Amino acid sequence: MTQQPDHPLLLVHAYCDGELDPANALAFERRMAEDPLLAAERDRIMAFKSAMAKLRPAGVAPPALRARVERTVGLNRTTRRPTWSALAASILLSAVIASAATWRLLVPGGLVPDEVVDSHIRSLMAAQPFDVASSDRHTVKPWFNGHTIQSPRVVDLASDGFPLIGGRVDVIAKTPVPSLVYRYQKHLITVTQVQGPAPPSGVRTTEGYHVIGWMDGGVAYWAVSDVGEGELKKFVQLFRAAPTDQ
Amino acid sequence: MSDERTRFANVVLPHLGDAYALARWIARNESDAEDIVQEACLRAFRGISGFGDVNARAWVLSIVRNTAYTWLKKHRDPRVIPVDNVEEVADAAGDQDLGPAAPDAGLIARADSARLEAAIAALPDEFRETLVLRELQGLDYRAIAEVTGVPVGTVMSRLARARRRLIARLGKEDA
Repeated sequence: MTQQPDHPLLLVHAYCDGELDPANALAFERRMAEDPLLAAERDRIMAFKSAMAKLRPAGVAPPALRARVERTVGLNRTTRRPTWSALAASILLSAVIASAATWRLLVPGGLVPDEVVDSHIRSLMAAQPFDVASSDRHTVKPWFNGHTIQSPRVVDLASDGFPLIGGRVDVIAKTPVPSLVYRYQKHLITVTQVQGPAPPSGVRTTEGYHVIGWMDGGVAYWAVSDVGEGELKKFVQLFRAAPTDQ
Repeated sequence: MSDERTRFANVVLPHLGDAYALARWIARNESDAEDIVQEACLRAFRGISGFGDVNARAWVLSIVRNTAYTWLKKHRDPRVIPVDNVEEVADAAGDQDLGPAAPDAGLIARADSARLEAAIAALPDEFRETLVLRELQGLDYRAIAEVTGVPVGTVMSRLARARRRLIARLGKEDA
């Protein structure tokens, strides 16, 4: 195979991987519309990618390996990443002796959930809740190139009642990170993707906003919205199950 | 806790699961993967001051990747170590990567995971690592180029070839 990066059979892969900028992606879409062979190749690659998505790692190392690594570099295991039960105990204690602001620092995921909620609320007050407005993930995803270090996972949930309406850059822990904005009826749902510690499982509620965090492929995802808890859970379920970039 | 340890805990530990997954794909064996990650973490710890705060995951994965190949060279048959120019070898062998394989997309999407995993394991190392970094670790082309130490054009070519081979294989076995 030729190594020319502009070979159409390489471009179709770059297109499926969201590696083309919006102008080139659009031009390539037109080209595929006229070339059934390229369109068929795109369909096969997308199908292949969704088969691959099922093999994604859980993003968790075996506990014995983690312990071994921590021992090797002299890290005391118990001082990091409190478990929920340890956390509950510490909250009981600290609730008496400390302010709420102090124990927030002990929560797995640090201050990320609070910053995610803050960004969501700020976006609701802005003229528009996104920096790039588009319902097309092939427009939204490439837009983040050059705006954030990581390229976000963008999925299409329009047929489930959660249309994508745009994306924006949030600053979490002093780092620009990608956020996607979905709509559910009259509510907005923000999904922020952060390189960081694994969020704790379960739903937490802050100032009327529900927050659900999860880990996928080494990236921490935080979904925040004022929709009902059940609806947010359903959204997260659909988001996680959806094939990437399809 | 010393500065290095704090930094290690913040930079390396969040990516331990990914490190392990990558090592397992390269070594194709779980206990070797654990040894590789252990050694890679030690290297990362020693080199933590050299990490430039850019992309922690790519940095960790490139250390794991390089450690894996040195480790395998030391502990396994040296013949299994990848050749530098897999593209040329594949061409010389009359590689059918661009052949008219055209299985149905629905068939591919429904491919059995165990069979897909076995097919990936059988790929040449360069193809397999490129595919795993893209599809399972979600790195973009530029990050894959950094981790594997090749130009972006080579990443594109390897990824395309890896997918073509697997797509053809899935179509054939299911037919």
